[in-house]
Amino acid sequence: MRTPFFHKSYKSSKALILSLALVLLAVGCETDETQTVTTFTKLTFEDNFNTDGSIDESSWNYDLGDGTGNGLPAGWGNNELQYYTDRPENIKVEGGMLHITARQESFQGAAFTSARITTKGKIEQQYGRFEARIQLPWGQGIWPAFWLLGSNIDEVSWPQCGEIDIMEYRGQAPSTLVGTVHGPGYSGGQAVSKEYVLPADRFDTGFHIFGIEWGPEYINFYVDDVLYNQITPEDVPGEWVYDQPFYILLNLAVGGNFVGPPNANTVFPQTMLVDYVRVYEGAK
Amino acid sequence: MQKNKINKLIIAFSLGLTFLFSNCKRDISDDAIPATFPKNGTVYIDGFSPGLEYLPFGDSYFAAFSVDEETKYAGTSAMRFDVPNVGDPNGAYAGAIFPDYGGRDLSGFDALTFWAKATKKGTINEIGFGQDFRENKYLVTLNNLELTTNWRQYTIAIPDPAKLTREFGLFWYAEGPENDEGYTFWVDELKFEKLGTVAQPRPAIFDGVDGSITTFAGVVTPILGLTQTFNLGDGSDQTIRVAPAYFEFTSSNPSVATVDEQGVITAVSSGEAVITATLGGVDAKGSVKVTVTGNFVFAPTPTQDPADVISIFSDAYTNEPVDYYNGYWAPFQTTQGQNDINIGGDNIIGYTQLNFVGIQFLVDVPTINASSMTHFHVDIQPREEIQPGDFLTVRVVDVGPDNTFGTGDDTAGEITIGPPNLVNGQWYSLDVAFSDLAGLASRSNLAQIVFVSDATISSIYVDNIYFYDDGGGTGPMGPTTAAPTPTQSAANVISVFSDAYTNINSNLNPDWGQATQVSEVSIAGNNTLRYGGLNYQGLELDGSVDVSGMEFLHIDYWTANSSTLNAYLISTGPIETAKALTVPTSGWESVDIPLGDFSPVDLTDLIQFKFDGNGDIYLDNIYFYKTSGGGDVPTTAAPTPAQNAANVISMFSNAYTNVGVDTWRTDWSVAALEDIQIQGNDTKKYTALDFVGVETTGGNLINASSMTHFRVDIWTPNMTTFRIKLVDFGADGSFGGGDDTEHELVFDNPAQGQWVSYDIPLSDFTGLASTSHLAQLIFSGLPAGGGTLYVDNVYYYQ
Repeated sequence: MRTPFFHKSYKSSKALILSLALVLLAVGCETDETQTVTTFTKLTFEDNFNTDGSIDESSWNYDLGDGTGNGLPAGWGNNELQYYTDRPENIKVEGGMLHITARQESFQGAAFTSARITTKGKIEQQYGRFEARIQLPWGQGIWPAFWLLGSNIDEVSWPQCGEIDIMEYRGQAPSTLVGTVHGPGYSGGQAVSKEYVLPADRFDTGFHIFGIEWGPEYINFYVDDVLYNQITPEDVPGEWVYDQPFYILLNLAVGGNFVGPPNANTVFPQTMLVDYVRVYEGAK
Repeated sequence: MQKNKINKLIIAFSLGLTFLFSNCKRDISDDAIPATFPKNGTVYIDGFSPGLEYLPFGDSYFAAFSVDEETKYAGTSAMRFDVPNVGDPNGAYAGAIFPDYGGRDLSGFDALTFWAKATKKGTINEIGFGQDFRENKYLVTLNNLELTTNWRQYTIAIPDPAKLTREFGLFWYAEGPENDEGYTFWVDELKFEKLGTVAQPRPAIFDGVDGSITTFAGVVTPILGLTQTFNLGDGSDQTIRVAPAYFEFTSSNPSVATVDEQGVITAVSSGEAVITATLGGVDAKGSVKVTVTGNFVFAPTPTQDPADVISIFSDAYTNEPVDYYNGYWAPFQTTQGQNDINIGGDNIIGYTQLNFVGIQFLVDVPTINASSMTHFHVDIQPREEIQPGDFLTVRVVDVGPDNTFGTGDDTAGEITIGPPNLVNGQWYSLDVAFSDLAGLASRSNLAQIVFVSDATISSIYVDNIYFYDDGGGTGPMGPTTAAPTPTQSAANVISVFSDAYTNINSNLNPDWGQATQVSEVSIAGNNTLRYGGLNYQGLELDGSVDVSGMEFLHIDYWTANSSTLNAYLISTGPIETAKALTVPTSGWESVDIPLGDFSPVDLTDLIQFKFDGNGDIYLDNIYFYKTSGGGDVPTTAAPTPAQNAANVISMFSNAYTNVGVDTWRTDWSVAALEDIQIQGNDTKKYTALDFVGVETTGGNLINASSMTHFRVDIWTPNMTTFRIKLVDFGADGSFGGGDDTEHELVFDNPAQGQWVSYDIPLSDFTGLASTSHLAQLIFSGLPAGGGTLYVDNVYYYQ
């Protein structure tokens, strides 16, 4: 199995800034949400992280270690520097938030620790709206992500299974969001990707909603109330593998090919705060 | 070709003048609406924004700034700055402020931004805002801003925009030549903006270090290293130096050290306090633990006539110019510090991490011709415990007639001092004759004073460095008249040092390791004790002396240069108590110190005197005395009992838990009773005494059958006979009944005017058949009805 993450180039895809055209009713949205680009409104899964303690393991799994336990080269195939744990120092639910915290500490041969969780085998869905409200960490070499993998990864392997990166971000570029799909023939450096720069704001000073709306033959990427990209089968130079269930991943990496290593100015610990993760499907 | 146009060039020729501020400050009454100021963030886009002025620094190159319509980033013009070459007679650097004295409300912005380029790679030394030639209250400085030869945009963050509701200083800079060469840079589109990407504030004080300082009450210490660090929108960190007014400072213990809004720490009293700060609600990294160690001891004030002095460093004289007070001689010198300590207005040199350090007067200033001087003086205070083997060598260097180093005519002389002269926290005054500085062949071209400790002593204060002419005398001046002649009757005196009395035997100069030079000098024919260069000095009595019958210690003293002087009495233990003497004196000073002031020193067992402090002290007429008859009032408490409480039945004593007593004056008594305190010690005072009954009847009956002695301390100014009677009420425990027994002891001529302790075996009360039911204690004496009697420590013991 290969890791889903590789260094990505930014192939220009059809950039549809259609937020105004796609404003729909904000049914079911809470008052703190500004996201209005909704076509999928029937809630199928949510974790609001309202019970202090460890994560709800009826929905989530821990991915532990440096990737070698998952059959990957150390560093999760990306030369990442962290060792993932399930310790409360790295992952906990507190104050209505999921805290995933990257620390600089010597642990199991690694210089950093952090956490990564998935809903594999627990929450998997084909099509729908997948979104999370997150305040991101910051600093050189900090690499948080909210993403999806095809549920058939164990059968067909990556990238055949498909990967949808709803949110990736480099701590050294605090206003820039990256949304990407990887599939057969367009993975890693050839992935189909687009950046979005938050105007006069940054992702580490407040919460933002990162989401996709995914249906047959399209994936719309949005942040808050801005739809900043749509990817369709015409945009990918390979097979469209997004007509099957996917599961969710949340993680906070340190270093790695995407961001480069942290430097002396990187402040540790760094925490990704997740207010909620929600999944919707179309109203029947 | 450049086409330059001077636009609105307003040069403040009165630079450095502080504008009066009182006109700008008014209290806001309840119904007043605070004034608001323009929220205009533009400074220079294509010309001066409304209200903007240009004021160059007074010593800068005034023509540095101009408006350039050729080279610009956008629009029609840019600000152009021409940095002069090194040493330009018209001003060797470029620097100016751009204020708007109407004030701007910048609270809605988070950064100052501008585009800039330069004719070559330049690094602007200082650039920022908040400088207004007034308070510079919200000064912000970015150091070392690197410019390129291309237009690039730069950001200088606002530490806390909420503070800037009326800011005058919109832009300022100061820049010198690069590698001695002038160059030109341009600034355009200069404005305050709300970027929204200035984030992750990380304020710091003391550059983020948790430090500690040890200081003295009254000393002020500024908080340095005030910075704010942001992560900017491009992901880079920016650290700016910011004014104290952006911070809120806190002291953990304001009774020890306070901190004001300017970040100035003031030490208040002994103890520890930690100073911390916040900026915009964010805790600042860094702190300082302030340890206040009481009051600072100043160096003795020099007494040489200024006409006879060439001073290098002293607040008492006009000092000669020097190249430096610390040459930071590379590569081996570790010594830090120079003339940068000011304590209560007294300038002091503080050296730390001392291995060696030099003060020089040679290169930029004349050498010193001290050929008419005879001595070198310096005051030194070690700031650490001095160990055996520690030393400090003081070297005086002459560079010879050529006034340069190393041409064969250089000479130097030195003197080394150490323990016991050097004591932690105490000033040592070094006065050395040039004739004793072997090797110093000439003092016509003196150029350096060097201190060398080889790191044996790492921290010292230095003060009063000067050369002087002692006029052939014996050093600092002394009194010219004798101390006043004592008038106390010899019968009432125990004298230690006085020509007026027969002195008890004592050793005037025991070797306690002190630095003080002790001598007896004759002043106007009067033998006088002199302590030269006092650090501390003992005086040992010949055995134990009982001065409890005395009331006062008298001392005559004279000093022109001491800043602190304490006198101690010491009893076995040692138990010692200091009494501070006021110094310096104007002529002879006489003090009469009540002996009670030396409590808890045992006045019956006095063994030593001690003096400590500094300076040169003259002492005379050191004696104990009592007023005639010993006085009417005891000034000291009765001696503290020594018996173990388990072996005592106490009726009256602060030393024990007392049993119940019906009364200390029965109604059949002939005496008046007053409960008083002497030095905090409860005492019974009987006056108009013929006899007084003290009763312990009924439940208060005292069973002293296991006790062996009766004890009472009395003090009387006038009684010639003193009697004690004990009465036992017998087995029936009540008066009468045929089983009462009693006995009275008579003491003739008790010592007057001093405490007298009676420890009487109960067996002496021979008429007392039993001590199991003691019910009465009766004091009586002569003159009948006229006695005054102080009573304390009434108890039985075994």
